[in-house]
Amino acid sequence: MYRNLLATLSASMSRSHASRELKWMRESLCTEFNGTLTPESVKTLEDMVSRRARGEPLQYILGSQPFGPLDLIVRPPTLIPRPETEDWTIRLAGEISPTKASPITMLDLCTGSGCIPLLLNYLWPSGSNHAICVDVSQDALNLAHENAVRCGISVEFANEGSPTSTKSASILLLLDDVLRSNFPERLANLGEPSFDLITANPPYIPLAEYVNLNSTVKMYEDHRALLGDPNHTCHGEGLSFYRAFATQVRRYDLLKDCGMIVLEVGENQSDEVQRLMLNDAKMQRTAVWRDPWGKERVVVAWKSTG
Amino acid sequence: MSHLLDDDDPNMRSLALEEYKTLESTLTHQLDVVFPSLLTPQSETSHLSAILEIKSGVGGSEASLFLGEMLRMYLRLAQLRQWSTKILAKNELDSGGFKDAIVEVNGEGAYDALRWESGVHRVQRVPATESSGRVHTSTVAVIVLPFSNEVSSSEPLYEDKDIKLEVMRARGAGGQHVNKTESAVRLTHIPTGITVSMQDERSQHQNKARAYQVLKARLLDRKLTSDIENRRATRRALIRSADRSEKIRTYNYPQDRVTDHRLGLTMMNLTSVMEGDGLVDFINALQEEHDQTVMEEILLT
Ligand SMILES: C[S@@+](CC[C@H](N)C(=O)[O-])C[C@H]1O[C@@H](n2cnc3c(N)ncnc32)[C@H](O)[C@@H]1O
Repeated sequence: MYRNLLATLSASMSRSHASRELKWMRESLCTEFNGTLTPESVKTLEDMVSRRARGEPLQYILGSQPFGPLDLIVRPPTLIPRPETEDWTIRLAGEISPTKASPITMLDLCTGSGCIPLLLNYLWPSGSNHAICVDVSQDALNLAHENAVRCGISVEFANEGSPTSTKSASILLLLDDVLRSNFPERLANLGEPSFDLITANPPYIPLAEYVNLNSTVKMYEDHRALLGDPNHTCHGEGLSFYRAFATQVRRYDLLKDCGMIVLEVGENQSDEVQRLMLNDAKMQRTAVWRDPWGKERVVVAWKSTG
Repeated sequence: MSHLLDDDDPNMRSLALEEYKTLESTLTHQLDVVFPSLLTPQSETSHLSAILEIKSGVGGSEASLFLGEMLRMYLRLAQLRQWSTKILAKNELDSGGFKDAIVEVNGEGAYDALRWESGVHRVQRVPATESSGRVHTSTVAVIVLPFSNEVSSSEPLYEDKDIKLEVMRARGAGGQHVNKTESAVRLTHIPTGITVSMQDERSQHQNKARAYQVLKARLLDRKLTSDIENRRATRRALIRSADRSEKIRTYNYPQDRVTDHRLGLTMMNLTSVMEGDGLVDFINALQEEHDQTVMEEILLT
């Protein structure tokens, strides 16, 4: 049976990768005491393999994705956390060391599954940080909520009527559109006008590249999580979110004086995003972090030169 | 007291004989067990856990099948000794069995007991697929590495600048463009050229953690070996155990026996060895032999 399943999977990927994926599927299933699959599990496995062969992402089939030491729930259409994001989030956790005595406030835009703030919160000492996480998708926020609960991190939805409860939970989830130019007024209304740390992995794929994406991405993951220019503006470079954000940062003074901004970017976008941070957001200093594959993946910006 | 053994009173004689026997056995115990254990230096590695690396050698699929059985043998042994185990990596083959496997064996004394398993294990039997009934010889190589969960207070095993971390395969544009699982990593310790690859886990983070764990074990192994080399007392014992290409044991199915070539010891009932109990006897015998060698060295110097 395994031979057939392996052959089915190998049609769309290398044989060695197929055998690993098959192993991961098997490991997610119930086994008998002697380690063999139960009859129901065999059926599930066959089903998983045929879904995978049709192009569904492995992570959606398994329903989870490790992210650092966390094991997060993933489900369509919310974007599956990427290893590049995992890598820089772990690095970021080591760059800042908030304590309970001097806690920090952070803002995570386009939070999706909640992976970035959840991992940071998990890696930092408890009580040392507090995050507001924004997404335009209710599906994403619901998933982020489930993930926080799964990780044992206190979480709340931000409700229109109750502005002052912001500090009671570690993670506050806010449904909003960050492209609205006056969006930061929502934050001020919640009693959080400025932050020590702002992170974002906004959609950054240009339309011209989006149409050529592998169907495993295009057909299963939310296009709103991927398309960098949802309103077909900005010359199609995929930078709409960075431009809107840069302007907001300056107009609403979103970053505290010693604060730091950390933005994931797509291939070849780091130069322009650095320029936006320096010129439009009026940051004093920027840096670029590479991902494990050597690509310029993250733009970091500081308000002070220090 | 020996004159009491010749006492006229038979009651007294039998009492004396009884006491004599007890004393004699106490003395023998003192000489054979207590005295040597006082002389043998306390093991400096008794607190260490072990990492077991098993690779199939000659013999193709038959070696891989036997590797699977050896893996179970060690897992059973661990269960008997109440060590916890975690499979860090395994390469299962379509044809059954494994190409290789790496297992973490956690617990007090795990390294000290398992270190004697390093070397080449040979299996002789008729493969299930062999119609002519001819006995094949295949081999499996075992390497046992020391490993500790605690951060050692002494000097670190490596410096960060000496480590090269590589991710395998290209990801094109990467990031949001790609959702394929690419979690394989390879670590290289530049000064020694030791490399460790890991790809069993779905997360790069986990593979990295495991690769570092195995790398540390290999470096600690090197360190221990050179420490011992520098100490004359155990040199002879070391030379015997350090040669990992040495054939140390044969599992002969047709004759239902297991022979340890270092001890020259053969045990009948192969199943009992594969189930773990018999293996304990081999391990104890190897430990005793080691202690004795160490003691002789001490007495000779
Ligand atoms: C690339 S995903 C990042 C998800 C997650 N932070 C991560 O790193 O895996 C982008 C997210 O931005 C959200 N999003 C898209 N347009 C948005 C908007 N106008 N306002 C707020 N969030 C938006 C999407 O719903 C999606 O969850």
